[in-house]
Parts: sequence; C-alpha cells; structure tokens
Amino acid sequence: MRNHILRIFFALMAPTLVWAAPNPRLALPEFSALAQKATESVTITLDAALLAMAGRFLNGNDPQDAATKEILKGLQGIYVRSYTFDKDAAYQQSDIDAVRNQLSAPGWNRLVETRSRKSQANVDIYIMVANNQATGLALIASEPRQFTIVNIVGAIDLDKLHKLEGQFGVPKLDIDAPKAPTPSIKK
Amino acid sequence: MSEDLESQLRAALTPVAPRDEFTQRLIARVTADKGTEPSARGIRRRSPRATAWWLSASMAASLLIAVGVQHYRQERREAERGLEARREVIEALRMTSQKLNLAYEVIKNQSSLPAEDKPGV
Repeated sequence: MRNHILRIFFALMAPTLVWAAPNPRLALPEFSALAQKATESVTITLDAALLAMAGRFLNGNDPQDAATKEILKGLQGIYVRSYTFDKDAAYQQSDIDAVRNQLSAPGWNRLVETRSRKSQANVDIYIMVANNQATGLALIASEPRQFTIVNIVGAIDLDKLHKLEGQFGVPKLDIDAPKAPTPSIKK
Repeated sequence: MSEDLESQLRAALTPVAPRDEFTQRLIARVTADKGTEPSARGIRRRSPRATAWWLSASMAASLLIAVGVQHYRQERREAERGLEARREVIEALRMTSQKLNLAYEVIKNQSSLPAEDKPGV
C-alpha cells in the first residue's frame, strides 16, 4: 500500500520536476512589427527532425559540410531571428528585452558581454550547463541597424563553432593563443 | 391486235403475292449474311475472358504508374525540404560564427587599448 502511494506521488510530481528543469529553448517572439520595418529579415527554426534531415544532405567530402556535420552532432535545435534596417535606431532595446529576461532564469550563465562604443555593437553570449556539459547557447547581438538572436539547443561545442571562421565566408580573425618564446641558441 | 397486246401485258404485270416459303428463305438468307459480315471498324470481337484479362492488366498497370509517380513526387519533396534545411543550417551557423567573431573582435580591440582607455566589459 505504501509503495503504491509512493508511486502515485512520484507520478504526480514528475511533470513538476520536468517543468522545473531549466529549458535551453527560448520563447522567441514573432517580431512581426519589426519584420515589416526591416529591409532584411532572417527567421530560421530548425528542430531535431529538420536537423537530422539536413544532416543527411551534408556531403562529408566537402570541408564546409563536414565542419557543419561535426557541429550538428548532439544538437536538438537551432533558432535564429535577425533583422536588418536601413536606418539607425529602428528598433528599441525593449523589443529584445522579452528575450533577455528569459536569460536571467536559473540555468543560464553569461559567458561574454561586450560593449563597443566604436562600432556601437553589443554582444551577449549565454550558455546553459548541465552535468558539466553545455546544453544550450543564446547569443544576442545588437548593432545600430541590425539585431540578431541565436538560440542553439543541445551539446554545443564553442570551440568547433569558433573554428568555423574561414568557412561560410566568415573572415578569419587570427585570434591565436600567445606563442611560446623561441629559445636562443648559444654558440 | 392492240387490244390483245394490252390484255396480255395486263395479265403478265398483275402483282402476285409471294409464297410463304419465299419469305422464310429471305429471312434465313439475311440472317446468314449478317453473321459473316465484318463490323464497321474491322475489329474482331474478343472472348469475354480475354477482355477481362486485358482490363485487369491495364488497371494494374495504371495503379503501378500512379504509385510510382506518387513515390517519386514524395521523394522529390523530401529532397527539396532536406536541401532547404541544409541551406538554413549553414546560414544559421554562419550568422552565429559571425556574431561570435564580432564579440571576439571587440574583446581583442579592447585588450590592445592602453589601460586608461579600456571600457568595462
């Protein structure tokens, strides 16, 4: 009887426990008003099924496709919203706040926060970690005429993602670790 | 003389009803001719069994062709969706990498500035 009651208790608690677990997937708004003002908008919604389908059409012999295939391993979703405008200050920071507020929920850790007065570009990178493994990535980049939100769900490897520079037309920044000093040869 | 000729002609041209056997012979002849007469299109009639076989075969062939076309269309649609998904994945990762590089560039630029010019990060 006691075991039966315990089983019922845990069965009722299970949904609550699932609900309480941090969710790496963000609720991205439609931004329909901004989309109408934007000169260019990109909306990408790829769930696990679509990622698997895309993976089947990636050619392992092509370096770009092979790098992409490597990154896709362990991913459950990629969601992108990006809007480009033809004039400065066409969007408000409050438009992005609905997304930013979700990143203050438990589980999300801010990895990088950059503010550039020169280029007026702000980039925030958040990561969700569970069991010493990244389970989600959120990136918010706001520039005077463009803002981009990227949400990647799954085991994301930032190192592999960074190594994509040079692929996909992204220029290499040549950001290398400091070189060890060369030993002098005594004669 | 003319009266004799006239009466002879009248007697010869008097209509005479045909005998019963004539009618029957005529009907029998017409029926026989109809049996051997070729049809207007020149096609020989098939037996019911051959017709049923041809009908089944053509229906089966039509069904196979329809299934084949449907299968081909479905595969083509899946291929299009897969290629579109591939394009979107590449675009999404390209944009992500671009923004990561933007962050790295800002950090790199700030690390190369003199200490008094560095804004807080």
